[in-house]
Amino acid sequence: MRITQAIIAVVAMAGLATAARADSTQGITASTIMIGNMGPFSGPQSTFTPLNYGPEAYFRYINEQGGVNGHKFVTVFADDSCNEAKGIAAAKKLIYEDKVFMIMANPCSGVAMAIKPMLVQEGVPWIGASANPKISRPASPGIFHSTYTGIESGRAMASFAMGKPGTTKIALAMHSDDWAHGYCDNATDYIKGHNGEIVATTALEHGATDGTAQALQIKASGAQAVMACLYQPELIVLLRELQKYQVDVIVLGALGADFDQVIQAFPNHDYLKQRFFQPYQFKAKIGTGPLKKFHDIFVKYLTKDELPKVGEPTNFYYFGVPAAIVTVEAFRRAGPNPTRESWEKAMESLKDFDTGVLADSETFGPDKHVGVEKMYAVGLSAQGQETVYKAWGDALPDTE
Amino acid sequence: MMLSLLPQLLVSGISSGMLYALIALSMTVVYRATTVVNFGHGDMVAAGAYAVFVFGLGFGFPFLVAMALAIAVLFLAGFATQRFLMQPIVAGPHLSLAMMALAVGYTIRGALRLEWGTETLNPSRPYPQDIYMFGNVVITTDDVVICGFVLLLLAALFLLLQMTPLGKVIQATFQSQRGAALVGINVPMFHALMWGGGAALGAIGGVMLSMITPLTPDLGQWTLVQGFAAMTLGGFGSLGGAVAGGILLGITEKLLGFYANTVFIEITGYLVPILVLLLRPQGLFGRRAIVRV
Repeated sequence: MRITQAIIAVVAMAGLATAARADSTQGITASTIMIGNMGPFSGPQSTFTPLNYGPEAYFRYINEQGGVNGHKFVTVFADDSCNEAKGIAAAKKLIYEDKVFMIMANPCSGVAMAIKPMLVQEGVPWIGASANPKISRPASPGIFHSTYTGIESGRAMASFAMGKPGTTKIALAMHSDDWAHGYCDNATDYIKGHNGEIVATTALEHGATDGTAQALQIKASGAQAVMACLYQPELIVLLRELQKYQVDVIVLGALGADFDQVIQAFPNHDYLKQRFFQPYQFKAKIGTGPLKKFHDIFVKYLTKDELPKVGEPTNFYYFGVPAAIVTVEAFRRAGPNPTRESWEKAMESLKDFDTGVLADSETFGPDKHVGVEKMYAVGLSAQGQETVYKAWGDALPDTE
Repeated sequence: MMLSLLPQLLVSGISSGMLYALIALSMTVVYRATTVVNFGHGDMVAAGAYAVFVFGLGFGFPFLVAMALAIAVLFLAGFATQRFLMQPIVAGPHLSLAMMALAVGYTIRGALRLEWGTETLNPSRPYPQDIYMFGNVVITTDDVVICGFVLLLLAALFLLLQMTPLGKVIQATFQSQRGAALVGINVPMFHALMWGGGAALGAIGGVMLSMITPLTPDLGQWTLVQGFAAMTLGGFGSLGGAVAGGILLGITEKLLGFYANTVFIEITGYLVPILVLLLRPQGLFGRRAIVRV
């Protein structure tokens, strides 16, 4: 009798599990689509939350236009604090309690990697802004990157630096985590593959308040350029030390820092002119040209708490938004009764799709779940103007 | 080439070490008075830096006024922490006191994150940032200001403790709290004042730190480790030892980082306590404690 009950229970649970896995319309009602928006709303990495607010602003904008095929977007926010354990708990809540259709934003690579097996197992789509290329390479069902991963950014950093004539000696300044390796390892591959040489590798850890030894090592190595795979506070520390010791190198920062905020940290920009650059994701300068529309969306649809306390919406707001744009487009293509399968198929059908934001257009396919490749670089011109460059010395028209 | 950079590393090490010294000293003041290691002290340092930012940029006070207000606020915060949170549990196990201090620190950090968690602030210096060359050694206005200010502060503290009647009272109470109580000194009030003093000194450290590094709510995390390491190196409870420990730590960090590997910079603050506690538990300037049972 007990054995029979046990068998029935196991079969029932297996049935339930299969049913749960098979419910590809979870989070969809006749009038709404529920989206999980996950990010570090608390903790030391909460500087990344504009990556969560960017897509949210776009969903509110779309909702005001009437939604997509009669559906409006409803967002459930979840805080992962950029911590893997908290991220897993947050993802479980979104999937099993809130029953969202998909999870997006998720800027922290460590968290994204930690929840990936759960997402794949449960068939929950993910489209995020975290840099680790392993999240979407090789392509996994439902997992997409509409923005640049460490591969594209690392290559862009290295290729821009080596585009300066005669630049072959490169130093690395990096955190010791997966995120930094995501950029610097790919930059290193590019450098070595193009007859360059890594002449110094220095570590600058999170929270560091001084970079003297690193700056002097870079100086002593004779490096001509530095790949700075660092978050914003430490990037500023390194740049200040390089300036202090008058180290004559060009510095390529990773996307963990906001270009405008880094520039603002230097009352005198002279050292940074034609010296500090970052890979640039957008087709125009922030808030200008085609990006003006998105500036207005942010300002109109985000609350005071979601916008910067001082100044205009910064890089990360714009960088977050393509995830929402391609998501909306895929829902549009999936028709009035979307399922996870039809949404994924619609995503894979996007070819040369212009988000209106990014430097490259989005192209996906069954084996290609990272939509963009081409990047620009941003830096200060010799006159001190923020300028977008296609390559070293080649400014994008209308951005000088 | 490598040895030619030694003078620069020493100068930079002293400059960083002065800051560590100030933070270690502020922790030592509390430890000497109450035998509690304030594990929330790093966050008080960060709070001091933010307070100057708020008074300066938020309320528009001139820098020195903002700094004076920040020191006063942190003094009150330290005083209140001891009076209302530590004093009620002072008779309990030492671990409870340490946990309370830690909890206060995390609460401060949480509050700072709530308001500024999404931004990196870069407070502007109230003086021009100039560079002076002495041979191939670079010294900046930051180095001069930080070292000068900390030295002045140390001199003032030395004069207070050694030359004034108040200093004698403080020293006497440091020596024997029971004796101090017997001669009519209000020891709980003394504890609260020392917590206030420690927090105020920490606030000065935070202000100095915010001149050279971007301001984030987690500034205190790194600071606490360095302060604790400097305290251990100098000898727990030794005011002079805290200063010497801070400077030695700053120099060690730079030399290890440059000549060995930059990964050592982060772990120097952890390596030092391990080595000191194993090889010379009383630190460089502390006295060996003998407990008679």
